[in-house]
Amino acid sequence: MSRSAMELDFFGMEKKLSPPPKPSSFERRRSFRDIQGVVSKINPEVLKTVIANGSFGLNKSGSVPCTPKEDTAFPSLPLHDSTVRQNCDPKKGTETAPMTIFYNGMVAVFDVSPDKAQDILLLAEEEVKKPAESSDSKVTSDQKNILGTLNGDFPIARRQSLQRFLEKRKERSNMVEPYGCPNKHFNFGHMIFS
Amino acid sequence: MKEQKSIKLIRCGSSSGMGSGGADETVWECVIPYVQDPRDRDAVSLVCKRWYQIDALTRKHVTIALCYTATPERLSRRFPHLESLKLKGKPRAAMFNLIPEDWGGYVTSWVEEIDKSFCRMKALHFRRMIVIDADLEMLAKSPAGKVLEVLKLDKCSGFSTDGLLIIGRLCRNLKTLFMEESTIVEKDGEWLHELALNNTVLENVNFYMTDLTKVRSTDLELMAKNCPSLTSVKISDCDISDLIGFFKAANALEEFGGGSFNEPPGQIGEGVFNEQLGRYSAVSFPPRLCCLGLTYLGKAEMPLIFPIAARLKKLDLLYALLDTAGHCDLLQRCLNLEILETRNVIGDRGLEVLAQFCKKMKRLRIERGADEQEMEDVEGIVSQRGLIALAQGCLDLEYLAVYVSDITNEALECIGRYSKNMCDFRLVLLDREETITDLPLDNGVRSLLIGCEKLRRFALYLRPGGLTDLGLSYIGRYSPKVRWMLLGYVGESDDGLLVFSKGCPSLQKLEMRGCCFSERALAMAAMQLTSLRYLWVQGYRSVNRLDLLKMVRPNWNIELIPARRVYVQDANEQVIFDHPAHILAYYSLVGQRTDFPTTVMPLDPNALLN
Repeated sequence: MSRSAMELDFFGMEKKLSPPPKPSSFERRRSFRDIQGVVSKINPEVLKTVIANGSFGLNKSGSVPCTPKEDTAFPSLPLHDSTVRQNCDPKKGTETAPMTIFYNGMVAVFDVSPDKAQDILLLAEEEVKKPAESSDSKVTSDQKNILGTLNGDFPIARRQSLQRFLEKRKERSNMVEPYGCPNKHFNFGHMIFS
Repeated sequence: MKEQKSIKLIRCGSSSGMGSGGADETVWECVIPYVQDPRDRDAVSLVCKRWYQIDALTRKHVTIALCYTATPERLSRRFPHLESLKLKGKPRAAMFNLIPEDWGGYVTSWVEEIDKSFCRMKALHFRRMIVIDADLEMLAKSPAGKVLEVLKLDKCSGFSTDGLLIIGRLCRNLKTLFMEESTIVEKDGEWLHELALNNTVLENVNFYMTDLTKVRSTDLELMAKNCPSLTSVKISDCDISDLIGFFKAANALEEFGGGSFNEPPGQIGEGVFNEQLGRYSAVSFPPRLCCLGLTYLGKAEMPLIFPIAARLKKLDLLYALLDTAGHCDLLQRCLNLEILETRNVIGDRGLEVLAQFCKKMKRLRIERGADEQEMEDVEGIVSQRGLIALAQGCLDLEYLAVYVSDITNEALECIGRYSKNMCDFRLVLLDREETITDLPLDNGVRSLLIGCEKLRRFALYLRPGGLTDLGLSYIGRYSPKVRWMLLGYVGESDDGLLVFSKGCPSLQKLEMRGCCFSERALAMAAMQLTSLRYLWVQGYRSVNRLDLLKMVRPNWNIELIPARRVYVQDANEQVIFDHPAHILAYYSLVGQRTDFPTTVMPLDPNALLN
């Protein structure tokens, strides 16, 4: 399968992929910028980052903790009811509908055309039938995709009100002349309240 | 009294099979007005059908902790004479920028019902909800608009000053207009002018921490002149020197927050101090002012507060510019202080001052300051040293929320030993220091929970290694009355969570972040916690997403916010925010909601299993 901008080697079938290094968050970020994810909401582009971090070959031996217990190693992708949230992508000119993918505990929603959806489903079915190909059968927590490794890696969130105050304070201190001009000052009063 | 009228309705209506009635009714007429605690009312309503009806007809206030648990129609059917309603929308995490803005929590359908059915509604409190101008207009023009006394748009968004204009014009009985931390689209400052012109009964006006800049200080003064009962005013940024007239007019004022001091010119030095004070020397605070918070209050302006420091009961230094020494200097004069909010720049030294001088402290909130050392004080960290002093010195402490840089078991044991009135305790361990003096905190947490017998709310946000599974089991075992918990980076494995969830008999609302529990453990915990009605989790060890199905049951809504990558274009660069997935689950009487944005999805078992 050729790799176009939209193709997602979700199941690590491309043999070119190197086994995943232990990525630091900085390295992960760098590779993301390369890939150029742009949108703020869930978008197929986001999943590209999944590829960068390794193979997801399913291991039949069951040593992979993430393999579901059922023998159908991967449940068929639950398609979202396309009548509920149909939308048109004006750029593409075709009708797209949301596709929800549950994988390895992560949930992602993509707007895909029917053809694309078909491709992805076929991919998934092929993968299930193939024998395990990855020599990297031992799954460590590092092998989880980006969305998954977010689990342990996020900073303490700051309260919105304080965040705004700290930003305003920084702006204020940047506005004051560094060498002190005694006669000149910012009168916030007349600027803010008339 | 309305209650008597309502009970007479029952009497007339209950002709068949209602028993003796007579003595009962009299007792009820006398007693029911005094039974207002919601838990008592809940118990009353379960006794028998008649008591259920009496409660339903006489209930004055309802709090709906999550607006999607019921519908407006159900509310009006059960409590037709409601006078006060509090609704909450977005998860608490929204205050920390973790929830998509369009998550939900729209007030529109509630306002429509108020317009239709609740003509006696006097008090409305919307918290973390989406309110649009049309909602405010409908409210103002509804029958309730004429009698409305309290309107709180608390951390809401979606409306503009146009909506406020209509409120100001039509709701002439408004005593409280509260909009703290709401996101408001500002067209002009006319709304305050209307409010000031048309209202004479205002007591409480609050647009603190909003970005309203077109408000006129002359309108504030007008409002103060027209409203003799004006007791509490909290505003957005406005230079204090423009408020001299307002302070003179607001004779009854007890609480003031906001304002602003402009940046003193040049370098800080003796001459500058005097100049700054000179600029503000004409400010004279009202005689009964005892609750104060002045934005950008710095060392130079601090002496303005000294004359009234001794009578201050509440002090807000969250948005002040004081260093540790400044805190110490000010706080040692505040001998009657009961409530203090500040950042961790207060430092251990500041807490020692509190312990020594502010013996009446009841509520203390210490927020997290800037991470960059240059922006805060080198001394500005809180650790076990400050907490131990605080616990021993301020025995009346009921509420403590603190961001610490270091902690020990001893400090927590101390709190358990001395803070016998503690009802709400929240500790966050900052992640800047690599090594913490004394981890895990198992024993300290145990001692704290056992010692603080009145504890109702508890938050513990640590790091890996901060609390073992054993420590987590202690939380389960020793928190009999705790109704809300936030747990961050606690425990070591699923076992910890499972043992924890066998305890916590009163836990109604559980929030977890950054923990290592699998879907299976989360689902089992949700099933085991006997009082749980609301669960929020962000960050978990994903093993098998299908395991979430283990908690599928009737009336239990499960929503997912899948992991997101958010790109924010700053002035100079693009900043990436990674948001791990959330699980939100709650009991609801009315099934899944129908207004999901694209970022949030219901967990649909049928779709998953197909």
